Amino acid sequence: MAGPVIELTEVSRYYYMGEFVIKALDNVNVRIGTGEYTAIMGPSGSGKSTMMHLVGCLDTPTAGTIYIDAEDTSALNEEDLAYLRNAKIGFVFQQFNLLAKMNALENVMTPLMYAGYPMRRRKEIAENALEQVGLGDRMKHRPNELSGGQKQRIAIARALVNDPSIILADEPTGALDSVTGEQIMDLFEKINSQGKTVIMVTHDPEVSGRCKRVINLRDGHIAEDR
Amino acid sequence: MFGEFVKLALKSMAYNKLRTLLSLLGIIIGVASVIIIVNVGESASQSIQEQIAATGLETISIFSRTQERSVTREFNFELAERLAYEVPGILTVIPMNQINTVTRWQRNSYRGTILGVSEDFAWANDYSSVVGSFFTDADSMQLRQVAVLGNSVARELFPQGSAVGEYIRIFREGQAKSYRVVGVMERKSASFNLQYNQSIYIPFTTFSNRLVNTDVVQSYVVRTEPGVDVLAVSDNIEEYLTRLVGSGNYSVFSPSNIAELAADVTDTLSAAMASIAAISLLVGGIGIMNIMLVSVAERTKEIGIRKAIGASPRRIMVQFLIEAMTLTLVGGIIGIGLGIIVSNLAVSFFNWTFYPLVRIYFLAAGFSMTVGVFFGLYPAVKASKLDPIEALNYE
Ligand SMILES: Nc1ncnc2c1ncn2[C@@H]1O[C@H](COP(=O)(O)OP(=O)(O)OP(=O)(O)O)[C@@H](O)[C@H]1O
Ligand SMILES: [Mg+2]
Repeated sequence: MAGPVIELTEVSRYYYMGEFVIKALDNVNVRIGTGEYTAIMGPSGSGKSTMMHLVGCLDTPTAGTIYIDAEDTSALNEEDLAYLRNAKIGFVFQQFNLLAKMNALENVMTPLMYAGYPMRRRKEIAENALEQVGLGDRMKHRPNELSGGQKQRIAIARALVNDPSIILADEPTGALDSVTGEQIMDLFEKINSQGKTVIMVTHDPEVSGRCKRVINLRDGHIAEDR
Repeated sequence: MFGEFVKLALKSMAYNKLRTLLSLLGIIIGVASVIIIVNVGESASQSIQEQIAATGLETISIFSRTQERSVTREFNFELAERLAYEVPGILTVIPMNQINTVTRWQRNSYRGTILGVSEDFAWANDYSSVVGSFFTDADSMQLRQVAVLGNSVARELFPQGSAVGEYIRIFREGQAKSYRVVGVMERKSASFNLQYNQSIYIPFTTFSNRLVNTDVVQSYVVRTEPGVDVLAVSDNIEEYLTRLVGSGNYSVFSPSNIAELAADVTDTLSAAMASIAAISLLVGGIGIMNIMLVSVAERTKEIGIRKAIGASPRRIMVQFLIEAMTLTLVGGIIGIGLGIIVSNLAVSFFNWTFYPLVRIYFLAAGFSMTVGVFFGLYPAVKASKLDPIEALNYE
């Protein structure tokens, strides 16, 4: 295994609500190596989503440093962070978060647009990504014409389309029935086997059981890391 | 990327047609009124030019503007000859007096203008007879009671035709005076001060000695020599008259300076256009800003998603600016279309020829987009600065 692709050193994320301080994440140290398959578990409100947002550079820590590919992200401005998210990170959300007015293909093409690919290349790559997740026959469908599992496949295709090294999934099976959830899990395993670093938030022990590493959060601390 | 965002903007506009239309109303009305004013103004000024061309560019009119004896004394028959003699560039000066009264032939009557003019009047105005002829210097010299009829007058008094040789009666202070008709004139479109077809022409001498009995001349028509600068002649006449009676007691008009007047009117219209444009910019722009703020608020989630998959703040800003520009361009195009239709209707209402100023259309379209960028900037910046997580969690 190569050096860590993600490294959090003494990372805290506080929310200030009047006189209260909510310590969503408190002095966390984590290193995740390239190609690892990690589950993040913990009770509701323990800071799982907060950690994912920080790793995904959608949020910035109150204290501490986050390194992506050994790059100190605190040194980056908004434009650079957007570029980093686009190139190195793929998000998959519990609620899919697809663009409702666009069809499957257009949704998957969007990250490629921000990456600066010309139109024809975008289409090629996106079509290929949709084939990969088994949705080759649903490209012109809008999200509201598709099932939960299909929507999540589009979201995964969109996350993969720029060939990022890191896939972050926040409860990707949380809105799906167990059979569909299984299929999505198989997909993540396949993605991981292709060398991508996968971090997945889950409540489901069965899901985490299939992961090689499990980090347990409690009240913003790492309670267990195995 | 540009094309995608234009397409996206058009899509969301089509999705909410009524709202789009309402928010574009300011731009549409503003652009339409500018187009209407420009097109109607242009058509009006072209029509004035045509009227001037019909009048003939070589005549100048002089009017007395006061009843004061010290002034009117100077506006006499001799002044016509003195002007022609002393001001260079003048071919002839025709004295002109007029009254409005009733004229009868048998049971037919006509109420209109009796013009006392010298015999040069017809050729000086390039005005010919269709039957008979204009009266002659002999008629003038002998104060003959002869009359020449404008085309419409002849048709009213003599619906059966053959007016020449008949005697018409002109009523003046309860008395009827008999005039022999010697000619009927051709049709001629009205100039600024003469309704040719609606007038009856009699010798100036007869008018002043037999019909009205006056030594005053109300106005003069000056015919300039071919090729001279009419405006310069008109300036010289003014100078001469100022020396004679003082400025402010007379008016001098030539089609050329009426053309200048028309240019002034056009300038006033341009000023009106500029203020309408300014108001429409403000009202339309605020409409755009409002709809864009609504759009940004409604699409907070979309903005969050875009940021999560790698849209930088600048890209988000560009997206909303393009959307605002597309919106205002569509508004501008609708406004231009509306303006063309309405100005066409207005111009045909006034019986003018339609002279559209096409380059204004492009200007208006560009102007609309500028409004879009200007007033779309604040909402676009606001969108670009949204926090990604808050935007994503927005329901
Ligand atoms: N924008 C915010 N303002 C204030 N507090 C917040 C905000 N976002 C999260 N928190 C708090 O931070 C803590 C961690 O939240 P987080 O969403 O990371 O939990 P989680 O582990 O993902 O929970 P769940 O399993 O329910 O998704 C919670 O106490 C939450 O209330
Ligand atoms: Mg969560």
